Amino acid sequence: MNLFRRFNSKIASTLVHPGRSFLILLTLAVIFVFLILPLLVVFTEAFAQGWKVYKSAILQPDTVAALHLTLLVVSIAVPLNVLFGIAASWAITRFDFHGKNLLLTLIDIPLAVSPVVAGMMYVEVFGLHGWLGDWLSLHNLHVIYAVPGIVLATVFVTFPFVARELIPFMQAQGSDEEIAAVALGARGFSIFWRVTLPNIKWALLYGTILAAARSVGEFGAVSVVSGHVRGRTTTLPLQVEMLYNEYSFTEAFAVASLLTLAAVFTLAIKTFIEITTERRADRNVSGEDR
Amino acid sequence: MTISLQNIRKSFGSFVAVNDVSLTIPTGELVALLGPSGSGKTTLLRAIAGLETPDSGSVQLDGKDVARLSVARRGIGFVFQHYALFRHMTIFENVAFGLRVQTGKNKSSRREIRERVEELLQLVQLDSYAKMYPDQLSGGQRQRVALARALAVRPEVLLLDEPFSALDAKVRKDLRDWLRRIHDELHVTTILVTHDQEEALEVADRIAILHRGALLQEGTPQAIYEHPNSPFVYNFLGNVNLFHGRLLAEFTQSDESSDISKSAESSIGFVRPYELEISRELPADAHAVLATVAQIHAVGPVVRVDLKVAGNTQPLTTELARSRYNELDLKLGDKLFVYPSALRVFHDRLAVNEFFVQGAGI
Repeated sequence: MNLFRRFNSKIASTLVHPGRSFLILLTLAVIFVFLILPLLVVFTEAFAQGWKVYKSAILQPDTVAALHLTLLVVSIAVPLNVLFGIAASWAITRFDFHGKNLLLTLIDIPLAVSPVVAGMMYVEVFGLHGWLGDWLSLHNLHVIYAVPGIVLATVFVTFPFVARELIPFMQAQGSDEEIAAVALGARGFSIFWRVTLPNIKWALLYGTILAAARSVGEFGAVSVVSGHVRGRTTTLPLQVEMLYNEYSFTEAFAVASLLTLAAVFTLAIKTFIEITTERRADRNVSGEDR
Repeated sequence: MTISLQNIRKSFGSFVAVNDVSLTIPTGELVALLGPSGSGKTTLLRAIAGLETPDSGSVQLDGKDVARLSVARRGIGFVFQHYALFRHMTIFENVAFGLRVQTGKNKSSRREIRERVEELLQLVQLDSYAKMYPDQLSGGQRQRVALARALAVRPEVLLLDEPFSALDAKVRKDLRDWLRRIHDELHVTTILVTHDQEEALEVADRIAILHRGALLQEGTPQAIYEHPNSPFVYNFLGNVNLFHGRLLAEFTQSDESSDISKSAESSIGFVRPYELEISRELPADAHAVLATVAQIHAVGPVVRVDLKVAGNTQPLTTELARSRYNELDLKLGDKLFVYPSALRVFHDRLAVNEFFVQGAGI
């Protein structure tokens, strides 16, 4: 980032600026029309009939249940994601093994596959007529059209987030400090806890936040496996869709505003982390210079 | 602690990094493993530390085979080329790390840890830096922290992997002297891996020279410098003039060892620059050849003069004291007689060939 900034100032000082104002204005206009305006619409529509209506829309039992379900899904999917992300990036950056590149490619699959397809795959495997359907119904286990299915779909979709943040970071950092820790007598978990984790914590937090944001907002995959049972298998995004389809626009926008607030909150944390890590990087650079 | 290596062998794929090396390092000595990059010196060091497992051969510490001992249990301190300090810990915590991760009956109390760390930071003269972070220190300071960190657990062996090579020349020299003083104070058996012959010659009690995974020669710096056993060692330890063919025959005529003149094609003569004498008159007792002064580098206490000899593409280099230089009153293009005061001839066709395959770095 720091380097980038220096590079930028160099461009500004060595080039004349043809179309400078035009390009900046164009970017701002596009952002306003496609991002800011719709965001404003969400809030104006949500409050169109006043604060009281907004409040009662949000406090509807079905909406509260949807909020609870969403939080539950996030609290299961995100820790799983963190565990997997750390395990995968550790394996990939610290060990040499056959099929490493294949593994790296596999991790990216959820980003390439449409979430709807992901949902259908789970229906095909866990559904009543799916591969495991007979076994599951024999043991009275419900995956599809129930909470476990929603969790599975969310986990699938957010699978790569933490790993993709950590792998390049840990590759760049190398394993020098861990080897030093080994030489000083530290073992397995102690090395991870005292040396690795403090070094990767910002990248880890960043990946976790992205994964959490996606878990909250995931629509496609969850929509397929949820079954839309009001008050039971409906997450917040599904609730928005259902209200909207019923022409309850104010309620729909009220719930949508919750999701929007979550997104704004995520962006704020993300920016904070970026600023913090950038400062650390700056300090590192000035340290190298001496 | 005495370190004994027996027939150590280690390869990575088809590359043989260490080829059948046996070496004993006596207690309390500072030994340098010297060699160019790729000579296997670091691999050997890592095998002693337990960071690398040899394919065959054994590492013994005080007569005990340590093959089954983990790194943590070997009682070693390791210093890395690029410091490998823990960047998120203060200098104090870096040094304390080895003590903090100790378990069982060895575990130190908080007070013991604090006292030990303060003592070590004083030893490396960084006691006022305890609260700083590694990235706030210079390279030389960081390497001193790394040394203090390695010493914290009272290792019986200290292993240093090219510890000064990332530093600039002045700092490198200071740290070298300082390492020697610390060693004289603590007498920990120390192995220093380096590719810098000057560093090895100056700091070590003994030197082991490695080349392409093999141990070529081992001994005191003086013994090795004065009696190199192979063309490689001779060349690696310092600047050298090479003679072969006609020039060698000319210089060695008087020896009456006719086999030299006969086998002059496959032999090489080695003379260090300061062993090459020049004079304006033909000396009575030596076989000299006529040479032309091609270049003069007159900076510093020693003057370096490059001489061209007819029919020889490589110029000869000689070093002489400034007083002698003034006395001779040398100018570019002057014609002089040049002769060696000492000459070492290697006949071994194999060693010689290998030497030329290597390019010998000149």
